[in-house]
Amino acid sequence: MQIRDYVLRRLMILPLLVVGTSIIVFALTRVGGSPIGIYLSHEMNQAEVAQLEERFHLNDPLPVQYVYWVTGVLRGDLGWSGVAAAPVTEVFPAKLAASMELAVASAIVAVVLGVALGTYAGARRNRLPDHLTRIFSISGASMPLFWFAILLLIIFWVNLGWFPIGRSSPELFARIAHPTGLYTVDAVLSGDMTALLDALWHLTLPALTLGYGATAIIARMMRSSLVEELQEDYVDAARAKGLPERLVLRRHARRNALIPTVTVIGLTFGFLLQGTVVAEIIFRWPGLGRWMADAVLRGDQATIMAYVMFTSVLFLAVNLVVDVIYAYLDRRVVLGT
Amino acid sequence: MSIRRMIRGRLTGMWALLAALALVLAACSPAGESGEEAAAGGEEGGATAGGGEPAEAGVFVHAADDEPLSLDPAQVEPGEGGETMILQSYERLLEIGPDGPELVPGLATEVPTDDNGLISEDGLTYTFPIREGVTFHDGTELTAEDVKYSWDRATEMDLPEGAAGLLADSIAETTVVDDSTFEVTINQPSASFLRSVVTAMVASVVSQDAVDANGGITAGEPNEYLQTNMVGTGPYRQTAWNRGENLQFEIFEDYWGEPANLDLRIEVVPDPDVRVLGLRAGEFDMIETDPSFVGDIEGADGVTIYSEGLLMEPIHIGFNLNIPEGELPPEDTIPADFFHDRRIRQAFNHAFDYNAFLQGALGGYGDFNPHYIPLGMFGADEQAPVYSEPNPDEAERLFREAGVWDQGFTISVIAEEANLFEIAALVLKDSLEALNPAFEVRVVALAEAQFDEAHASDPIPYAMWVKNADPFADPDAYMQAYIHPEGEWGQIHGFAQGYENPEEIATLIEQGATELDEATREQIYSELQTLLYEDPMWVIAAQEGIVNAHRDNVEGFVLNTLWPRPNVKFALFDKS
Repeated sequence: MQIRDYVLRRLMILPLLVVGTSIIVFALTRVGGSPIGIYLSHEMNQAEVAQLEERFHLNDPLPVQYVYWVTGVLRGDLGWSGVAAAPVTEVFPAKLAASMELAVASAIVAVVLGVALGTYAGARRNRLPDHLTRIFSISGASMPLFWFAILLLIIFWVNLGWFPIGRSSPELFARIAHPTGLYTVDAVLSGDMTALLDALWHLTLPALTLGYGATAIIARMMRSSLVEELQEDYVDAARAKGLPERLVLRRHARRNALIPTVTVIGLTFGFLLQGTVVAEIIFRWPGLGRWMADAVLRGDQATIMAYVMFTSVLFLAVNLVVDVIYAYLDRRVVLGT
Repeated sequence: MSIRRMIRGRLTGMWALLAALALVLAACSPAGESGEEAAAGGEEGGATAGGGEPAEAGVFVHAADDEPLSLDPAQVEPGEGGETMILQSYERLLEIGPDGPELVPGLATEVPTDDNGLISEDGLTYTFPIREGVTFHDGTELTAEDVKYSWDRATEMDLPEGAAGLLADSIAETTVVDDSTFEVTINQPSASFLRSVVTAMVASVVSQDAVDANGGITAGEPNEYLQTNMVGTGPYRQTAWNRGENLQFEIFEDYWGEPANLDLRIEVVPDPDVRVLGLRAGEFDMIETDPSFVGDIEGADGVTIYSEGLLMEPIHIGFNLNIPEGELPPEDTIPADFFHDRRIRQAFNHAFDYNAFLQGALGGYGDFNPHYIPLGMFGADEQAPVYSEPNPDEAERLFREAGVWDQGFTISVIAEEANLFEIAALVLKDSLEALNPAFEVRVVALAEAQFDEAHASDPIPYAMWVKNADPFADPDAYMQAYIHPEGEWGQIHGFAQGYENPEEIATLIEQGATELDEATREQIYSELQTLLYEDPMWVIAAQEGIVNAHRDNVEGFVLNTLWPRPNVKFALFDKS
């Protein structure tokens, strides 16, 4: 099947999958009881609770509540977040942008470090540089993320004062427009170099923390794939033809070694997106992960519903993209079979 | 060229590039720039963050432990973070002064008294002369109409999460006499009206023009604009609310009174470790903290710990005298009238290990108050008998007399998980189970939302629960809420079924509410506290001590426990 036809077919199935997921998730959020708890305070009495239930339609039958939710979604209203004390639709985009920015920055760190270390180690198989590189990359996966994050904070924030906490310097953040919600991109669009530097400066510690943790997976896959490829006959043939070694590596071995590595990179990005919650809490990053953690702990069902639906759609979309990239990299793969 | 040499060269270049980028970022960062500026103006006290130096001149940075739920005085919940913001940006007719509890004029020019004739002879009508030349943050002028509008708005909206009941329950009518005179007629003479109602955050004055231009008033519905925007008359004007990050305020240049010295930024930092690190790094000028973190802050360079006073929110364990039949957890073995016998309630009070809770959970910061007026509040009798030491012998005697010693019992107590309330429940468990192995206390730790839902039930499907009181400014509010047999909690928890003489308790509380002579009022409350020692409706685990941590260079620091937490007005502060 042509890639275009395959993509169209998958996009047509997507809405059905999303609706089915929404029904299941909505029902599950009500299994534990009414989600009214997040809107209550300690001193409310029954009459006041009833007032709140009426405001949020929580006194209606479950199917009616689902219809209210669906009609709200179609109007762009995802409900009221008890945790954020604001409409979900107002808070979600900004927090999503913050998390995406952090996840992308972490992914860049992980990919650059992982591919570089994996390539370096793969070309020096079983020698000291290979062992040291593997220790360095695996330590990132072994260290508890929260411990590493606090360690970096203590060293670079408290003691040295080299890097800050949070997402931005408030004055700089306030002086530029935010059409995308991505501080780095908005700074570039505004032409404000100081704001761009501020964004990168604040991104450094959390991105390094998260990215380092994901480096090991990519480095390991890249190393072992490259070792295999360097032993293939076509590499010997390329050398025998007189190709420079850098071209043998770049044009042949590394390209093929990247095929399984790209799959891992795709999975790693999903891991990074989920793993931002710890980094967001420690580094005070105003992202989705921290908000979701609070929402789950405090039973904020409106927020949980929005997040689950978003991640479902994202998961389906990312899988589609990975399938297409796979077919592009390996011409032997035929989509739709 | 060999692969080795090629890769080595590439990697060397890559590491060099990363190192250079890091250096560039650190050097060209905005903090680096402000550090240079601050070094040039070092007397101003600014410098780069890190190494314990203050981060920003001209801005006071406070780290709060939670984000407000609403900035609307008509919606804010007593004791919730929104009250902190409202205290900085809004004003009321009267205020509790920095040296409180004395009242001082706010938007009214005088405190009504009998002497100045601003309280009618029958004690029902209060007249407030409104201050002239006061401007709201939106530029409009304050008049008596704005005051009436603000109060009527709160009662008309009557939001369940707010405190409109404070106004609605006491006020019969509000009247605008003229632009500069506002009159209130209350339902019955009250000794607490000025302190409990007029100074409450729900009585804050909002700009009528701002509300009318942004959704107006809808009964039962919040106003989305005022939820996130404050338009008051206070020394701070809100400039931004970046959810999950901070709220920003600037000095209100047209403020009628003493202007603030510094702009204000309140950072939302839920993680207590990060707040402590930030204080030590100089990123924050002041933080909200609690006794368990004193060890991390003590001795840190440039940090001052203030630990005087007590929070007006005693931590208490409730008795349910209105236990629903068949609704308790199946493990519980107590009868529905278990707590009707005051010997049982006295025995619980004698059994509780107060020192374990005070020294353990509170790190020694706290005290024990009589039932039920917090220490530091008018009317708290320091001579009244107080449960402050475990008395296992007396507890055993009472349990035996009540006939439950030999058979024992199993009882469940609910508490919010992972905080002081759960610890108080665990201390109760340890205390009782150590007293008699036949006693079993099941601590049911619930997430906040689940606890709130259970606690809001009528009746509560548990025998006991742990939480803290809401903070009030007058003893009558505590008595009405937590002691009166026909008060809101009295009815739900069935106090009338347990008091030896509920009519006497009720009569004394009503007398205290309407007695205008302070000396007589104190005697009434003293008598009540003695009676309640013998007939307790709670186990009061402790009154938590105040622990505030700020940088040494903070000047003008003053804290008043009658102000909403963290009990400060930032407009009074400066930095050296």
